[in-house]
Amino acid sequence: MSLSSALSIAQSSIRNTARQTSIVSRNVLEANNPDYNRRTAALTNTPGARAVEIQRAANEQLFRQNLSALSAFNGQSTLFTGMERLNLSVNGVGNATSPATALGKLQEAMQLYSASPSNRNLAENTLDAARNVVRTLNDGTNAIQSFRAVADQEITTAVGELSNLLADLERANNAVVSGTRTGRDVSDALDQRDATLKKIAEYVPISTYTRGDNDMVVLTKDGSTLFETVPRKVSFTPTGVYSPGTAGNKVFIDGVPVNLAAGGNTSASGRIAGMIQLRDGVTVTMQSQLDEIARGVITAFAETSPTNALAPAAGLFTWLGGPAVPAAGTLITGLAGQIRLNPAMDTAQGGNAQFLRDGGANGAGYVHNTGNNASYSALLISYGDRMNAPIAFDPDAGIVASATLSDYSTASIGWFDGMRREASNAADSKQALAVRTAEALSNETGVNVDMEMSLLLDLEHSYEASARLIRAVDEMLAALLNAVR
Amino acid sequence: MKASFVSSLSVSQAMRYSTMRAQGDLAKALKEQNTGKVHDSGLVLGARTAQTVTFARDLERLGGIVDSNGLVSARLKATQEALGHVTGTAQDFLNVLTASASGDAAASVTRDSGAVALGMLTSILNTSFNGEYIFAGINTDVRPFESFGAGSPAKAAFDAAFQTHFGFPQGDPQAADITAAQMDAFMTTALEPQFLGAGWQGNWSNATDQKIVSRIALNETTETSVSANNAGLQKLAMAAAAIGELFDSNLSVAGKKALVDRAVSLVGEAIGSIAQLQSETGVVEQRVTAASERMKMQADLFERSILDTEGVDPYEAASRVNDLLTHIETSYTLTARIQQLSLLRFLG
Repeated sequence: MSLSSALSIAQSSIRNTARQTSIVSRNVLEANNPDYNRRTAALTNTPGARAVEIQRAANEQLFRQNLSALSAFNGQSTLFTGMERLNLSVNGVGNATSPATALGKLQEAMQLYSASPSNRNLAENTLDAARNVVRTLNDGTNAIQSFRAVADQEITTAVGELSNLLADLERANNAVVSGTRTGRDVSDALDQRDATLKKIAEYVPISTYTRGDNDMVVLTKDGSTLFETVPRKVSFTPTGVYSPGTAGNKVFIDGVPVNLAAGGNTSASGRIAGMIQLRDGVTVTMQSQLDEIARGVITAFAETSPTNALAPAAGLFTWLGGPAVPAAGTLITGLAGQIRLNPAMDTAQGGNAQFLRDGGANGAGYVHNTGNNASYSALLISYGDRMNAPIAFDPDAGIVASATLSDYSTASIGWFDGMRREASNAADSKQALAVRTAEALSNETGVNVDMEMSLLLDLEHSYEASARLIRAVDEMLAALLNAVR
Repeated sequence: MKASFVSSLSVSQAMRYSTMRAQGDLAKALKEQNTGKVHDSGLVLGARTAQTVTFARDLERLGGIVDSNGLVSARLKATQEALGHVTGTAQDFLNVLTASASGDAAASVTRDSGAVALGMLTSILNTSFNGEYIFAGINTDVRPFESFGAGSPAKAAFDAAFQTHFGFPQGDPQAADITAAQMDAFMTTALEPQFLGAGWQGNWSNATDQKIVSRIALNETTETSVSANNAGLQKLAMAAAAIGELFDSNLSVAGKKALVDRAVSLVGEAIGSIAQLQSETGVVEQRVTAASERMKMQADLFERSILDTEGVDPYEAASRVNDLLTHIETSYTLTARIQQLSLLRFLG
C-alpha cells in the first residue's frame, strides 16, 4: 500500500458520499410526493473498490392491494355520490317531492272533498293535489333520464381519460424497458409508471404482471387486456338523449364489454363500472318503480260504469294509451313520463272538476251520480278506498308483487334508501381500506425525513473522515518532500 | 428496523384523514342536536325509511279526517238543533189542537196554528249550513222543502184532491154537510198519498232518500245527514196543511172533530218519529266524536313511533358533539406537536 493508494481510496469515498448525499437530498425533496418511492444508495463491494448502487424501495404485494382498494373505493363512491344526487333530484330533501308524499297529500285532499262534495273549492284543491302527483311523476322521470344522460357523458369523459392514461403508461413503460436494457437507473420511470397505474385503477380494476426487461402487462379484473406493449382499445359510443327504455351503449375494453354490477355494496370496481351501474341499474329500476306507481294511480282513479257494462276507462289520470286503462300487473316503461291529468276534468284545460264527484268524464255511461246530487260522496270515498286496496305490481320493478298503492310508493323509498345506506356504509369502509393500504404502502416505500437527516449526519462524518485522511496524506507527502528538499 | 419504518407522509396523512372524519361526524352530530332527528333518515334507517314515511303520511291523513270530522260534527249539531225546533213546533201545534178538540179555541186560531206550524216546518227544513241544505239528503244544492203558497204545485194538488173528492172547493157552504166518515175517508184516500205516498216527492220534497256518506275513520264510513223524506216530518206536514186549509167555519162540527182527531193522532206519531230521528242523529254524532278521539290517540302513537325511529336522544347528541370537539382539538394539538417533532430542529 502506498500513500497515493490511500489518497485515491479517500477520493473514492468522497465521491461515494457525494452520490449518497444527492440521493438523500432527493429523498427529502420528494418526502411529500405519494408516488415517490424511497431510494437507498447502498454500498456494494466490487473487487478493488466500493461503489454505490441505487435501490428503489418497493412492495409489489401492498401495491397491488392498494390498486384494488382504489378501484373498489372509486366504484363505490361513484355509486354513492350518484345515488345522493338521484335522491335529491327525484325524492327531494326529506322525501318532500317523492310520489309517496304527493299521493298522501292527494289522499288528504280527497278526504276533505268527500266530506263536503258540494264544495267546488275543495274539488279544485283535489285537482291541485292530483296535478302535484302528475308533476312529481313527470319530474321524477325527467330527472332520472337527464341523470342517465349525464352519467353517459361522464362515461365518455372517463373513457377519454383512461385512453390518455394508457398513452402515459406506454411512455413510462417504454422508458423502463429501454432503461433496464441499457442498465440505467430506471427508478424515476418506475415511479411514473406506478403513479399512472394508480390513476388507471381509479377507472378500471386492474391486475399487472411483469415480463423480462421490466416490461409490464396490464389486465382488467375480468381478464381482458388493457395494455401489452401498446394500449389496447377502450371504446364507447355515447348516447346523447335518454328516454325511459333507452339502453345505453356498453364500454368495450379490447372488445370485451364491461359488465353491469349490482347491489348497494356494489360489485362495481372502478369509476366506469360505477357509472354504468348508475346508468343501467339503479336508474332503470327507479324508473320502473315510478312507472308502476303511475300505473297504480291511473288504475285506482279509473272510471267504472255503475252497471259494469262498459270497460273501465282512465279517470282523473290518463296517459298516451288512454282512455284505456293499462293492463294489470304489467310494467309499461315510461308511463310515469306519460301520465297526465285528464283534460276532461282539469279545469285549467277547460274540463269539469265535478266529473270526479259524479263520474262521466268518459261519457254518460260512466255517471254514478245520476241524480246530479250536490253531496254525492260514494264515488269519492271509493277512490280513497281503492288507493288502499292491494293491487298487482310487476315484480320486475324490484319491490313486491302485490301491495296497496300507498304502500308501494313508500316501499319504493325504502328500496332506494336501503340501497343508499348500504352504499354509504360500503363507501366508508372501502375508503378506510384505500387509506390504510395507501398508508401501509407509504410506510413501506415512502420517505422518513428524520431518517434521511440521520443518514445525512453519517454521511457528514464519513465525508469529514475522508477529508481528514486526504489532509493527513497531504501533510505526510509535504513532510516527505520537505525532507527531500 | 424495517418493520417499524414510518414514512413522514403517512404520519401527516393519517392525522389529516382522522381529523377530516371527525369534522364530518361533528357536522352530522350538530345537525342531530339541533333538529332532534337523525341527520339523514334514509342513510341511518335504510329500508326502514319506508316505515317512517308511511307513519308521517298516515299521521297527516288522520289529521285530515279529524278536521273533516269537525265539519261533519258541526253539520250533525245543526241538524240536531233543527230537529229540536221541529219537535217544539209540533208540540205547540199539538197544544192548540188539544184545546180545539175540547172546544175552547176559536176556529180561526186553530186554522192559523196549522198555517204557522207549516210555515215553521218549511223554514226549518230549508235550513242551510256551510252552503248545504241539511235536510236535503245528498241533493244539498236544492231547497228540500217546497212552500205551500198559492200557486205552488202542492197547493194545487191539495185543492184538486178536495174538489175531486167532495165535488166543491174548500170553504164552500156545502162543507157544512160533510160527515165525520166523509172527512176520514178524504184524509185516508186523498191526502195520505199526497204526503205519505208518491205525492210527497212530487210536490213537497226535493230531498233524496240517500243521505250523505262520510269517511269518519281510516276504514269507517257512515251516513252523516238526515233527509226531509221522514215519516214524522211527512205526518206533521200533513196535519198542519190539513188543519190550515180545511178547519174553516163553514165545515160541519162533525167534520171539524174528525179533522182535529186525525191531526192530533198524526202529530203525536210525528213527535215520536222525530224523537227517533233525533236519537239516531245523536248516535252518529257520538260515533263521529268517538272516531275522532280514536284517531287522535292513533296519531299520538304514530308520532311516538316516528320519534322512536327517527329521533335522537338530545343528551346523547350533545355529549357526542362534546366528544368530537375534544377529539378534534386533541388531533389539532397532536398535529402541531408532530410537525414540531423533527430532527431538523435539533440539527444546526
